[in-house]
Amino acid sequence: MSEPEVDIIDQVVSQEYKYGFVTDIEMDTAPKGLNEDIVRFISAKKNEPEWMLEYRLKAFRYWLKMEEPNWQNFNYPKINYQDIIYYAAPKQKIALDSLDQVDPELLKTFEKLGISLLEQKRLTGVAVDAVFDSVSIATTFKEQLKEKGVIFCAISEAVHKHPDLVKKYLSSVVPYTDNYFAALNSAVFSDGSFVYIPKGVRCPMELSTYFRINAENTGQFERTLIIADEGSYVSYLEGCTAPMRDENQLHAAVVELIALEKAEIKYSTVQNWYPGDKEGKGGIYNFVTKRGICEGAYAKISWTQVETGSAITWKYPSCILKGDYSTGEFFSVAVTNNAQVADTGTKMIHIGKHTKSRIVSKGISAGKSHNSYRGLVKVNKKAEHARNYTQCDSMLIGDRSGAHTFPYIEVNNNTATLEHEASTSKIGEDQIFYCSQRGIGLEEAISLIVNGFCKEVLNQLPMEFAVEAQKLLAVSLEGSVG
Amino acid sequence: MNLVQQIESEFKLYEHQAQKDDFFEYRKKAFQTFQKNGIPTIKNEEWKYTNLSKISEIGFQTSCISNLDADALVKAGILNKIESNKIVFVNGCLFPELSVWLEDEPSIICTNLAKARKEHAAIFETHFGKYLPQEEGLNAMNSALMSDGAFIYVPAGKRMKYPLMLTNITDANESNILQQPRNLIVIEKSAAATVIENYIAVGDNSSFTNVVNEIFVDENASLEHYKVQRAKGDSYHNNYTQIVQNANTNINQVTLTLDGQWVRNNLHFNMNGENCNSLLYGLYIPDGQQFVDNHSRVDHAKPNCFSDEKYKGILKDKSVAVFNGKIMVHLDAQKTNAYQRNQNILLSNDATVNTKPQLEIFADDVKCTHGATIGQLDEEPMFYLRSRGISENEARKLLLNAFADDIAEKIKIPELVQILEEEIERKL
Repeated sequence: MSEPEVDIIDQVVSQEYKYGFVTDIEMDTAPKGLNEDIVRFISAKKNEPEWMLEYRLKAFRYWLKMEEPNWQNFNYPKINYQDIIYYAAPKQKIALDSLDQVDPELLKTFEKLGISLLEQKRLTGVAVDAVFDSVSIATTFKEQLKEKGVIFCAISEAVHKHPDLVKKYLSSVVPYTDNYFAALNSAVFSDGSFVYIPKGVRCPMELSTYFRINAENTGQFERTLIIADEGSYVSYLEGCTAPMRDENQLHAAVVELIALEKAEIKYSTVQNWYPGDKEGKGGIYNFVTKRGICEGAYAKISWTQVETGSAITWKYPSCILKGDYSTGEFFSVAVTNNAQVADTGTKMIHIGKHTKSRIVSKGISAGKSHNSYRGLVKVNKKAEHARNYTQCDSMLIGDRSGAHTFPYIEVNNNTATLEHEASTSKIGEDQIFYCSQRGIGLEEAISLIVNGFCKEVLNQLPMEFAVEAQKLLAVSLEGSVG
Repeated sequence: MNLVQQIESEFKLYEHQAQKDDFFEYRKKAFQTFQKNGIPTIKNEEWKYTNLSKISEIGFQTSCISNLDADALVKAGILNKIESNKIVFVNGCLFPELSVWLEDEPSIICTNLAKARKEHAAIFETHFGKYLPQEEGLNAMNSALMSDGAFIYVPAGKRMKYPLMLTNITDANESNILQQPRNLIVIEKSAAATVIENYIAVGDNSSFTNVVNEIFVDENASLEHYKVQRAKGDSYHNNYTQIVQNANTNINQVTLTLDGQWVRNNLHFNMNGENCNSLLYGLYIPDGQQFVDNHSRVDHAKPNCFSDEKYKGILKDKSVAVFNGKIMVHLDAQKTNAYQRNQNILLSNDATVNTKPQLEIFADDVKCTHGATIGQLDEEPMFYLRSRGISENEARKLLLNAFADDIAEKIKIPELVQILEEEIERKL
């Protein structure tokens, strides 16, 4: 590698995490550690009904019996679950009628993040449910949504106001027995978003949540539940950041999507948690369970994710294609730098007849980072005429990075048609040459090439997010050449 | 008695023999590893789709004795059509009556392990047991109680004129048979050889064949290696082939799984020098309740190497096929080119395919692709043929032959291609 290239990589590597500020707000926290009392404490704080507490306790007891998984393609220091604060809320009343009543300090934080609620409200027409540490601060556009019958609120609120829906669907896609982190989440989840789109309604705006871990030693365990009733449509956006801290923080969320007949859910994530420093010290462990079910015929679930942050990203947003003619999609860009690790992918479970799925995954690894695609496409015996197309491409930048692919394909039906393609290569020297020849600088050229490489996925993002995602990509990778 | 218990009791018997063979220390160590690791279960990621528990319960016997005479064996399918050197083992033991040797060059050696250990000690000690990953339970089992096998040595600069046919016959007429052949092939610098491994079985009882091949190919040498699995009946077969290649070597490996109740092929290439070419091809045509698992691993440990892998399968009835290909590109193995494909045609609604093409890449200047497809026969070419008056059956045969041809054309022995075509004809 030539000298200037090394310099540029150094620059990129030393680029500071620009969302790493801490907001000084008085917090209402639970004591460190995890036991039944803490679970009861969280439940009591939330003023939850008995059935919810029961559910949490069941999950907690189950979790105690489970073992942490160890099949993944990376190592992380053992997490001490007794050293985490499971509940942290800004100390103030949160039943607000308008944005004016929100603590100005908080609003400033969101402004720094570039998601000023006011601005968003005025300019973009996006309804934002901001989750600060664990509690939903303010939810915009509630009224407008209400008119259409759309329910968009914090899940703790939904437990009180729409207990029937929550009871029916919570844990129906990701049961607490599913995996170690899902069980943990089920026991201690503090808040999250709840969305219900009634029959035949096309949600008038894009719904959005912004997560931020602020307090020290806290874990974030949010829970998202989205239900799209027959013939409805919703597009949901999720973004995340966290301040810089030396120790690792755990983020173990659970997202459940339910699409009934002819409904469509589009779920987009831009994840930019703090990735840790150059040596891999600190950073977020992003261990998330995301799964959607196409319950009825012709339903559609589409996951789009841009993963640029976190020390370790470990998640597989999945689709269960139960309804006949239902469709599942997964579009992913995962960028890792320095000592980051991403082990991500999807599962497409074909159960219904004529179900279709499409997977497009783009991995970019730079520095000493490792990027893995791990996915399962399963066609059940009765899934006649199932169709899957999978494409995963990896790009390597620097000779110490790694890219890995672990696809699992299981087919039990002879009318199924499946295709899987994967490629790995480095940034093309000829492409860079072509650009420099035309007077385009190295950094810009790389940004162009990487953006082109990811275009297929970025195109899936809603406008506002696509702009942010492109910026994120440029920030993480500008100037790195392999 | 299950398999583990049997191995333990057999080893005890062996240990208490007054006259131990030269492999005692090696066997003992392997046996300890086997005791520790046991037989792999489906909890082991490499055995996720491949269940050994049924086989483990069958109960086998190790026995050299066979009442078959040479004529019967020839009839059983020793592939006489191919003009070749021959070495034959029955139930793991050498059957010298059928050996054929056509080479004029005296320095080329083909004998059995026991003899090689005594007569060619220096070469033998350099290579034997040096390449095999012993932690794998079934490999340790083979090392602990291997029966016998071929030792093939081609010295520097020499070239075998004829292919070498290494035939292994299971005679399960009398009882359930367990045999553990062990072969060692050493091709020295700038030498060349062609080896055909040929597996057949006779008799109505069950058999379990657990083979280990260690193959060493030194600089500038080349090897053509074919494995033809045609063991009919209730035969279970596990094969581990470890190939170590030094710089500038060419290896063409073709695995044909045409029969067998349960077959697992493990193929492991270790590219230990620059400019290596490794070609791995395979075809499997299971029917009935047959099970085929092709596991391969290509370790690109050095820069500038090329590997091409293509496995194709045609599945009938209730058969199950597993493909697991792993390409590892190690740190600093720059300019690696690696290709991997797995294509399957399901002819029946009860057939199952589990495929797992894997890439693990630790170097940046590489070109690696892999792909997998699972589907049925294309309707359009079928329609084309039907509209020209070709019957459905004929048309299907034509299309499947075309599908298999991709692999057949990698075989450089015309007689073997012919045999393959006959087998396909019979199966389809």
